[in-house]
Amino acid sequence: MDLIHPHTVTDVVEAVRAANAEGRRLLVVGGRRHIDKGNPCVVEAELWTTQLDRVVAYDPAEMVAVVEAGMRLGELRRMLAEGRQEWPVDAPDDATVGGVIAAAPSSPRRLKVGAVRDTVLEAEVVTGDGRLIRSGARTVKQVTGYQIHKLVTGSLGTLGVIVQVALKVRPLPEASRTLRFDGGLELATRILGAVPAAAGVLVTPDGVALRLEGWRAEVDEQEATARAVAEPIEAMDDAPFPASRPWEERPVVVESAVPPSRVGSLEAGNAWGALAGVGILWAGLEGPEELAALRSSAREAGGIAPVVQGPGGLGDELPPAPEVQRRLKEAFDPNGVLAPGRGWGGL
Amino acid sequence: MADVEAARRALEEALGPEEVLSDPLALRLYARDGSMVEGGCALVAFARSTEDVVACVRIAAAHGLPVVPRGSGTGLAGGSTPIGDALVVVTSKMTRILEVRPEDRLAWVEPGLPNLDLANALRPYGFTYAPDPSSQQTCSIGGNVNTNAGGPHCLAYGVTSNHILALDVVLPDGSIHRLGSEGPEAAGYDLRGVVVGSEGTLGVVARVCVRLVPLPPAIRTMLLDFEAVEDCAETVSAILAAGVVPAAVEMMDHGIVVAAEDFAHAGYPTDAAAILIVEVDGTPAAVAAQALAVEEAARANRVRHVRVAADEEERALLWKGRKSAFGAVAQIAPHYHLHDCTVPRTRLAEILTGVYAIARRYDLVVTNVFHAGDGNLHPLLSFDRRIPGTLERVLAASDEIVRLCIGAGGALSGEHGIGLEKRDFMPLVFTEEDLGAQACVRRAFDPEGRMNPQKVLPSGARCGDFAMARGQEAAAAAADLPEGAWI
Repeated sequence: MDLIHPHTVTDVVEAVRAANAEGRRLLVVGGRRHIDKGNPCVVEAELWTTQLDRVVAYDPAEMVAVVEAGMRLGELRRMLAEGRQEWPVDAPDDATVGGVIAAAPSSPRRLKVGAVRDTVLEAEVVTGDGRLIRSGARTVKQVTGYQIHKLVTGSLGTLGVIVQVALKVRPLPEASRTLRFDGGLELATRILGAVPAAAGVLVTPDGVALRLEGWRAEVDEQEATARAVAEPIEAMDDAPFPASRPWEERPVVVESAVPPSRVGSLEAGNAWGALAGVGILWAGLEGPEELAALRSSAREAGGIAPVVQGPGGLGDELPPAPEVQRRLKEAFDPNGVLAPGRGWGGL
Repeated sequence: MADVEAARRALEEALGPEEVLSDPLALRLYARDGSMVEGGCALVAFARSTEDVVACVRIAAAHGLPVVPRGSGTGLAGGSTPIGDALVVVTSKMTRILEVRPEDRLAWVEPGLPNLDLANALRPYGFTYAPDPSSQQTCSIGGNVNTNAGGPHCLAYGVTSNHILALDVVLPDGSIHRLGSEGPEAAGYDLRGVVVGSEGTLGVVARVCVRLVPLPPAIRTMLLDFEAVEDCAETVSAILAAGVVPAAVEMMDHGIVVAAEDFAHAGYPTDAAAILIVEVDGTPAAVAAQALAVEEAARANRVRHVRVAADEEERALLWKGRKSAFGAVAQIAPHYHLHDCTVPRTRLAEILTGVYAIARRYDLVVTNVFHAGDGNLHPLLSFDRRIPGTLERVLAASDEIVRLCIGAGGALSGEHGIGLEKRDFMPLVFTEEDLGAQACVRRAFDPEGRMNPQKVLPSGARCGDFAMARGQEAAAAAADLPEGAWI
C-alpha cells in the first residue's frame, strides 16, 4: 500500500491527478476513526490529509471557523474553547474534521445540536478528477447555487477529497448535567415530552440518561421538570455523555437511523443505546447473523443500519434516485479513482 | 420544437380544462414572480396532486416544453419567472397537511401550503415549523424549500435545509423519488440537501416532510434603540460574542423605522438612528439569562432605551412593524429593489456605511431592514420606475452594493436565491471550475436541461469539462438573458 502525504492543497490536486493518469485508486484517510464505515473496496494507495491542519480564519463573534480538513478534533476543540464555543460533533480528539464530515456520525446530543450536515457552511474539495472546487460561503446562511458541500458530507470520500471547510460553531453551554433513571423507552418518551428541548435522552438496557445543557438556571429548571416525571437515581454535573458506550466493546458497531417512534422495533441485541426523539440507535453486535437481523428490522422500520466499526459495510439499501446518484459519482470521479464501491449502492 | 397546442390538449385531459390556462392575460400574470424580471410562458397548469405534477412534467417532456415550478410566486430573484415556451406548474392548490406525527417530530405537507398555515396547524401539538420568512402568510413551503428560505428566527433555529427531512420530488423525466428519510439519516448522497435551495432547477417538489421543533415555553421580545448605526451594529456582535444566540436579531434603520411606524403604529422610536428587535426564547430561566446578557451588550454600546414587550399583544405589534416593512416602503416610492447579500456580522457597520454612500452617489433613497444576527442585509432602494433613467440608476447602485458585500467576504444571497436577477453575479464568487461542478450536479438530475432553464448558473457554466457526454453540451449552453425578458 502506497502512502501519499500531501502538505498543501496543491499537493492534493497533483496527487489526485497523478492517480487518474496512472489508474491508481485512492482511499482518503484522516484520523482513521471512521474508516470502517463504508463498503469494502480495493485501493492501491492511501491519501492522508493529516498534514492539512491549518486554521484559516476564526472569530468567535462570527460563530464560523474555517479550517483545513486534516485538523484534529482535539486541536479544534482547544481553539474553539478559547472562544467559549464548540463544533458539536461526537468523535475522539484524534479524528479529523474531514473524516467526521465524510462519515457524518450522529452526536448523542443531536436532539439539541442537530446533524453534521447542518454545520458545514462551505467546503473546498478536490474532485476525483483533480479539480479544486468550492461551494457554499463563510456565512451562516446562503443560497448561492448548488450545495456541493451537502453532497460531500457523508459521502465517505467517494466524490472528492475535502481539503477545507467553514464550520458553523455554537456557544459552549454554561452548564451541563446528566440525570440517570431506572426505566426504558416508555419512560424516555415521557421525559422527552416534559423536557422537549433536552440535549439528549439516551435509553440503554441499563436505564435512561437525560442530558441537560444550557444556562445554569435553565438546567436547574429542566431538572425540576424531569423530576416531576420520575425520580433520578443519580445526577452528575459536567460528566461525559454518554457516561459509557458498552456497544463499542463489541466486534461490530452499527449506527441505525429510523423514524424516532420506531427505535423500539429494532432487533439490537443486548448492548445498545437509543436516542429518544431522534431515531438513532447504536448497537454492539457479535457478527453477521445479528447484523442481518438488525438490518432487516431497520428496513422494516423505514431506516438504515450501516456498520460504523468492524466488518459489515453499509447494507444493501439502494439509495433513492439511483441514476442521479450514479451520475453524480461519474461526474465528480469519472475514472473511479476514489474508493470505488465504498459508498451506498456500490458507488 | 415545442408543440404548445398538443401539450395544452394533453394537460386539459389529464388535469381537467379548468386547471390549464393559456389566455393572454393569464400568461402575462404568470410571466413574473415577486422580482423585477418579466419573462413569458406558453401554458400555466395547476396541479392538485402528486399525480398531477407527474402528468405535467411528462406532458411537458413529451411536447418539448421546459417546466417552471411555481408556488405562491413571492420569490424575489426571478426563480419562477418563466422564459420562452415554458409550462408553469403551479402548486398553490396543493395545500393539504397530509399527516402530523408528533411522536416522530415530523409532518408531511403538500408544497403549496402557506408557511404560516403550517406553523399555526402545529401549534396545538406543542410544535412549530421554525423558518419564518417575512412573506410567511403567503409564501409556500415548496417555495421555501426551493429557495432554502430563511426568516428572522433562522438565527437560532437554522435555515430551511435544517428543517426538511425528506422530499418527494418529480424528476424531469417524470419519475418520482423520495429523497432524504423520515429518520435522521438516509442512504446515499444527500440529494435532499441539494434539492433544497435549487430554485426549481432539479425537479418539482411534490411533497415535503418537515421537522417539528418544540414551541419554547417562554419568549421575550425587546426593542433596543440607538443614536448611532455603528452602536447598533456593534451590539449585534457583542450579543453573539457573549455566547447568546437569540431566536432573532433584526435591525431597522431610521428610514425604515419611520415608514414602518407610519404603517403599523408599533410605537417605534422615529428619532432613532437604528433599532434592534431581539427575541430570546427557551425556559423562563434561559430567557431571563439571555435577556440580561443582551441588555448588557446593548448598554456597553450606548443603547438609549430597552423596551420589553409586556405581553403577547405588544410582542405581535413589535413584529408587525418589522414584518410589514416591505409593504410600508410603498409610502416612500411605488417600487423597490433589494438584494439579500449575507456578510460577516462583524463588518455590518462598515458595510452599511458603504451602502449609504452608494445610494447617495446615485441619488437614491435606501432603507435597511434585515436579519442582523445572520449578517443578512436587505438594502431597499425605493424608486419610481416611471421616471426615465431611474431604473438604470437603481440597477447600477445594486451592482455596487453586491460588489461591496462580496468584497467583504459575503455571499450573493442569504435566502432569496440567485434566480435570474443574480445569475450573472455568480462568477464574482465562484471560479469557472466551481460553476462547472455545479453544472454537473444539475446535469445529474436533469440531463436534458428541461427544468427551469437559464436560472441560477450563468451562461458558460457547463459540466462539459468534466466527464459527461459531450453531445449534451449544446443543450445545456444557456443563453444570455433572452429577448423579451426585461428587468
